[in-house]
Amino acid sequence: MEDQLIKPQNLNLSREQLAMLLPYLLVAVGAMVTLLAGVTRNANNKLAAAGVGFLTIVAALYSVTAVWGEPSITLFGGMLAADYSSGLFNALLLGATGLVLLSSYSYLEKEGIHYAEYYSLLLFSCLGMMLLASSLDLIVLFVSLEVMSIGVYVLVGFRRTDVKSNEAALKYFILGSAASAILLFGIALIYGATGTMNITELAVIAKTNPAVNPLMSLASVLVLAGFLFKVATVPFHMWMPDVYEGAPTSVTNFMTTGLKAAAFASFMRVFMNMGFGDNLTSTLNIGLHNVLWVIALLTMFFGNVIALTQRNIKRMLAYSSIAHTGYIVVGFISGGRSEYGYTSIVVYLIAYVIMNIGAFTIVALVGERGDRNTDVQDYAGLGFRHPLLGFGMAVFMFSMAGIPPTVGFAGKYLIFSSAVQAGETTLAILAVLCSAISAYYYLRVIVFMYMKDPIRDSRVAFTIPVTLVIFAATVATLSFGLFPSMLIHAAKKAASI
Amino acid sequence: MEFITNHLVSLVVFTPAIFALILALLPGDGETGKKLLKTAAIIFSLVVFLLSCVLYQTFDSTATGFQFVERHEWISVFGISYYIGIDGISLLLILLTTFLTPIVLLGSWNAIEQKLKAYLCLLLFLETGMLGAFVALDIILFYGFWEAMLIPMYLLIGVWGGKERIYASTKFFLYTLVGSLLMLIAIFTLMSMHKAQLGAYSAALTDLYKVKVPFNGFNSPQTWMFLAFALAFAIKVPLFPLHTWLPDAHVQAPTAGSVILAGVLLKLGGYGFIRFAFPLFPQAMHLLAPVFMGLSAIAIVYGAWVAMVQPDIKKLVAYSSVSHMGFVILGLFSLNAIAVNGSIYQMLNHGISTGGLFLIVGMIYERRHTREISDFGGITRVMPIFAVIFMIVTLSSIALPGTNGFVGEFLILLGAFQTHKIITIVAATGVIFGAIYMLWMFQRVMFGPIQNNENKHLKDLSLREIVVMAPIIVAIFVMGIFPNLFLSKMDVSVKAFLSQMKI
Repeated sequence: MEDQLIKPQNLNLSREQLAMLLPYLLVAVGAMVTLLAGVTRNANNKLAAAGVGFLTIVAALYSVTAVWGEPSITLFGGMLAADYSSGLFNALLLGATGLVLLSSYSYLEKEGIHYAEYYSLLLFSCLGMMLLASSLDLIVLFVSLEVMSIGVYVLVGFRRTDVKSNEAALKYFILGSAASAILLFGIALIYGATGTMNITELAVIAKTNPAVNPLMSLASVLVLAGFLFKVATVPFHMWMPDVYEGAPTSVTNFMTTGLKAAAFASFMRVFMNMGFGDNLTSTLNIGLHNVLWVIALLTMFFGNVIALTQRNIKRMLAYSSIAHTGYIVVGFISGGRSEYGYTSIVVYLIAYVIMNIGAFTIVALVGERGDRNTDVQDYAGLGFRHPLLGFGMAVFMFSMAGIPPTVGFAGKYLIFSSAVQAGETTLAILAVLCSAISAYYYLRVIVFMYMKDPIRDSRVAFTIPVTLVIFAATVATLSFGLFPSMLIHAAKKAASI
Repeated sequence: MEFITNHLVSLVVFTPAIFALILALLPGDGETGKKLLKTAAIIFSLVVFLLSCVLYQTFDSTATGFQFVERHEWISVFGISYYIGIDGISLLLILLTTFLTPIVLLGSWNAIEQKLKAYLCLLLFLETGMLGAFVALDIILFYGFWEAMLIPMYLLIGVWGGKERIYASTKFFLYTLVGSLLMLIAIFTLMSMHKAQLGAYSAALTDLYKVKVPFNGFNSPQTWMFLAFALAFAIKVPLFPLHTWLPDAHVQAPTAGSVILAGVLLKLGGYGFIRFAFPLFPQAMHLLAPVFMGLSAIAIVYGAWVAMVQPDIKKLVAYSSVSHMGFVILGLFSLNAIAVNGSIYQMLNHGISTGGLFLIVGMIYERRHTREISDFGGITRVMPIFAVIFMIVTLSSIALPGTNGFVGEFLILLGAFQTHKIITIVAATGVIFGAIYMLWMFQRVMFGPIQNNENKHLKDLSLREIVVMAPIIVAIFVMGIFPNLFLSKMDVSVKAFLSQMKI
């Protein structure tokens, strides 16, 4: 009891802890400095904000690599993990934010919604993601989830004069708050049932008392629902297509990649620590398994089938992103019962982030002011008018469809082979069939780009940062697809506790 | 030199892809630029053909096992390696691939005007994909080539094809994808069985052959896994009733696409059965052999009947493919030394003669922009050289003794008769129907008076077109008269294959 009181000596940070904490501190400071840029009335404040934001990300990435592979410790009395997993996810989230930031500048200019605050919100949200991915305490988890979400709520409505954008923001805010409340209620019940909020302590309790505790079961279901809302599985996906379509494309890019990766990272940390996927002996585990099984199937099926009918690329990618969520949930089902179960989640998340950033950056680039030119028809003839752009988009589409040699195939390989190893062959078969459905609408983009004649002659205005982002994503998609060993090793390390 | 002999197979496989990249960098504007591109592509593909001839020369047809083996670590956590090598069976299919590629490149000299550079690059990439699938001894490497090869073929049909090209190409892609995805699940099951039984991950074929896949009757893992593999390969072959993508794809594809599709891609299905499905799941194969033999007999007869009533020459040839490939499957499943030899030989024949037929259809289409049989008649009078060449290829397709087709079909029927008499008798009627539809078509197109005025001034074959067809004509006779030139190369491999299949 004595050392739980707040005393000055408990607040001391050792050198190692400070080094581990540095990425978070840098991003926090960067976010605030960027905010200041918005206050100035200088016409160049956007450039300054973008510059500061980008430098912050670079610095934070550097500080992440500086402590890469150091022995894992915990921060703030066990509230925050500083291990390989948090390092990997910090790098992934920072990388995603950095690429989104690079691709945002010209997009915001084009849309006429360029304000310096954008970058600040992006960084705050990024901070929330990083904390979320490494939180070891349910309260920290909740707070960081909110930090992440609130920034994004505002970003979604960033096109202030646009009805769709407003609708999206409001919808997301209301539904998101409801989901947060459910999550919070679940957390409160967990505290009531066990008397602790610390995930490692909870894990010990869960493993030593496998008997069913009604309160704990209810709490697990509520927490699960909260997470599933954030990652948008069926039946918690209703908000997502509207929000993805209404939000400015660069924000959609940020949401599909960073937000989803962070939510999944946190979900995985809780799920894995609690040993929910380790066996199917306790009633709770069996129940969770069955619930997730059904949810995974529904998510893959509906995501893909509805995506088939979409003509708008943003909406199509939104539904396809639901389907990808379904594949990742398959990873949770086979997680603890196969050698590379959790690894497959990490690999898939990385693959997903890479190919989505690429695809959404292209959508933002091809789109015209007011998000016009985002229908599939508008891509007609693009492949031959801009060969390299077309090649990039084709690579991302084939990667999302899981055709080798792309990183998307590597991800699907791990997910499905783990499912087979865990004895979930039926689910794996259903999953590949869903994935075959998805090939149809990804191919449609290719069909329009290469096989149809353009309706009108619209040229794409390239800028250096955007070109860099697309180039980087293309290279990463192909090189990680051909040589995934490094990726798998890193993911394996991140997925072992 | 040391390097070349050590990496000969890799060289053969990847040279086309490297050449494609070089081609992409060459300037391709204007008439001279286009000519340069086309010439370069043909020279490149000839280089590949010469390399594969070196392979043929240095191949030791008396040695058992795989030759020119190369193995490097790739994704070691899953035991996946860059593991390639060839035996007599893959050697011949490699030769077929590299032989047909320069021919189709020369054949499409005038056919493709739009987006020429992309077209040539894709054809060369496709060649790498096909060759890779023939040499891969690692099942995941094979799967990679198998799937990656879809992309160039899909684009070839979809971009340069006919009116319904988008429908046809998408259908082709999705059909093949569904089959191969289920195979992928079976591969995963197999690999995790290997891990469970032998303690390590491995995707190497030689290791996977050692896995004992549980088998007890129809409802057992081995049967289901065999069916998953068989589905992927049967779609590719294509076996009745999974053949419906083929006529669409063939009719819509540009000539080069059709030739490669019929000539090489379909062979991958047969090859997949020999290399993967059969030896990995021998008991299931024995259990299901009668079913597949029955289906192939249906395919032979049904394909021939449907071909008979086609008004479109290209569609007729496409359905004849269904019929001819039915023979291949019949021979393979009868699992008898003569029939298996015949099947492999039939794969080569079909590549040559159906490829030749598609080229011929392409030539006549370029002149008249129609493929309807009823638009023609009496062509012999205006195009005598064409008529001779067409006749030879037609006779090869209906398996006249002295041509290549005879050797294959005769061996298959001879072998299969020993295994399953009734099915073989049914299948043998397909030979007769084959003669009927081919000769009837030939008669309506070539003989009789010229009905259509537009046909009166057709030009006979140009020198380029004769050069395109000459190697095919030579191959038809060489393979028909000296079959041992090729049979001897695969004899040992076929024996090894059959001994693997004993249970």
